[in-house]
Amino acid sequence: MDFYRKHVKSDCESLLGRFQQTQSVRFEVFSNIWKEMKFVQIFSGKPTHKKRAFCRLVLDIAYCYFLPPFSFQIRVGGLYLLYSFYHCQTASTSEQLQIRVALKDWEDVKNFEKDAMDAQHLDVVYILKQLMICKAFQFTAMPTLLLYRTKRNEEKPMLCEQFIERASCPQELINTQLLEEMSNIYELYKNMKTNIISQITAPTNTSVNLIRKDIVSQLCSTVMEFYNWQQGRDIFDEHKNIYERTSSQQECSNRAMLLASIKSKAYGEASEASKSRRHRQVETNLTTQEDGSFLKERHSRVMKQSLRNRTDKQIHMLVWVRKP
Amino acid sequence: MVPGLRPDDASVFVAENMAASKQPTEPNSSIPEYEFVNVNTKPFHIGSFRDEWLKRLQPRDVSFQPVDQDTFEASFAAEMGLGEETMAELRSVCRLDRLTVGRVPETEDDMIPEGEVILTINIYFPGNFEKFNYVRPHMTLLMTGSHTLAELRDAICCVSDLQVCGEFSSTPDMAPDFISKDIFKSAFFFFEGVFYNDMRYPECQDISSTTIKWTKSQNFPSFSQAKMEDTRFMDLKVKVGFPYLYCHQGDCEHLVIITDVRLVHKGDCLDRKLYPLLTHKNRVLTQKCAVCHVFISRWYTTRDQFAPSDPCLFCDKCFRMLHYDKEGNKLGEFLAYPYVDRGAFN
Repeated sequence: MDFYRKHVKSDCESLLGRFQQTQSVRFEVFSNIWKEMKFVQIFSGKPTHKKRAFCRLVLDIAYCYFLPPFSFQIRVGGLYLLYSFYHCQTASTSEQLQIRVALKDWEDVKNFEKDAMDAQHLDVVYILKQLMICKAFQFTAMPTLLLYRTKRNEEKPMLCEQFIERASCPQELINTQLLEEMSNIYELYKNMKTNIISQITAPTNTSVNLIRKDIVSQLCSTVMEFYNWQQGRDIFDEHKNIYERTSSQQECSNRAMLLASIKSKAYGEASEASKSRRHRQVETNLTTQEDGSFLKERHSRVMKQSLRNRTDKQIHMLVWVRKP
Repeated sequence: MVPGLRPDDASVFVAENMAASKQPTEPNSSIPEYEFVNVNTKPFHIGSFRDEWLKRLQPRDVSFQPVDQDTFEASFAAEMGLGEETMAELRSVCRLDRLTVGRVPETEDDMIPEGEVILTINIYFPGNFEKFNYVRPHMTLLMTGSHTLAELRDAICCVSDLQVCGEFSSTPDMAPDFISKDIFKSAFFFFEGVFYNDMRYPECQDISSTTIKWTKSQNFPSFSQAKMEDTRFMDLKVKVGFPYLYCHQGDCEHLVIITDVRLVHKGDCLDRKLYPLLTHKNRVLTQKCAVCHVFISRWYTTRDQFAPSDPCLFCDKCFRMLHYDKEGNKLGEFLAYPYVDRGAFN
């Protein structure tokens, strides 16, 4: 049954890829793609004794797409997939298999429902509630049955990068309010420190320099850099120059200017759309190839293939070319 | 000190800001999570797991009663503030369902209550047979949270329980009186450092005490004991997917893995009397009689002058025909032991 896993996953990903391109979350759109791809045939051609196990596999795979870290649109696609699989299960089993929901995932499901309701995606909410009503969910401890399989060298499941939600935690955490508070605290601390030091020790004693200078501006610039990299815009250098200038000025006026610059950046930057609408923004980074490669450069080293593999490849290609 | 700035101000300011920012909450240990991904979970209390789910769900979510479609649509429309046109559109776009119900008992008392926990338990066959090529068949049982460990023990069929000890060539008719299950009744389960002994019968001994004494001398963490018949599954704190132990007959040890814990569902078998429910049992190849090749062997002979091999297996009829005369006198030299085939529970 594990043999089918790879193929079912790639089929689901091709369906979800098409769904992602439509930039829609409507069930109508999804069902058109489903019908076009004749996806219901996924259940055909199985011997009877394997049907149950296959249905279980298919439902478990679809369940993964319903949860984070995937983007809202993909999660909606996952929900529609679950709904479609649940109802298309072959009648010959005479029992329907349920969708297993683990306790640890329930909060994510609830947040998803809330996002959908706030954005008035009626079909999403209707389908989710419909599944609850017809008892499609089984409330379990873990998503799959666990059999203590330690010996198998299973490949780590690769998550399709295109489907993953764009990370927004840095921006949400380091907001204007936090930066203001931090700079307030920093000023207070600095003032206290200089007053105490001037009374006790020589001013040039560096052993009391325990925190970074300009921590606030550095933090802000790092987050901006991240955000701009995400957006694909290259205005990072501009911000960097501004902060370098401010750090060299006097402390009192520095604080005011810093706050002003932070605020201007905050109002100037495009505010993050709510998660349920984000799929409609023009995604210039992850879907285009050049930014995809940028992602790869930053996060992985390109491994050179071994001599053996390269030789095999060469030979294989030679053989293929030489065939009449 | 800086005039105008008291040390209290700064510390209060800092403290207030610390409190205002949200600290991450302690992870709830009743929510099962992986210890090793796709292998097993960390230990959690089954009763608390059930309570956590019930806290998050409405009674209608765990009820066995289906919700009427019209009622659902009416409440949905009211909740979302939708008109009939929108509802009609939704209805046409999203299709309808098909309901299936599991087996329902005759009387209300035998019904499993809503919100009960169902556990799926795999019992593995012990690998302590040297001579024959041992297979590892296993059985899968479904239990409810209110069942005791003793009930699980009773549901486990192991051929070693039926073994008869002793040589019976002179008295072949006496063999059935000495089944091991009746003589050696002690058994225990081992979950998360606790030995659960079967103390229902006066003959039961605490066979875990030897192990516990040994571990004390070896610097192991201390293990404790409890009674199998007093412990319900709801009270256990276990890891899902992690191997535990069932030991009976002194040395017959079975791996026990709890593969799944979940709330009961409308589609499950709802008749309490049918639990522990056997959902899977591996069939074992049975050894047939060496003479007729038809019946399953029940006698095992060694040093047998009549047998083609040493040892040799016979079914009851062939055994008696070959080794005893019409009056039941023993003919020739041989040693005979009652044999319980591994496939006796097929």
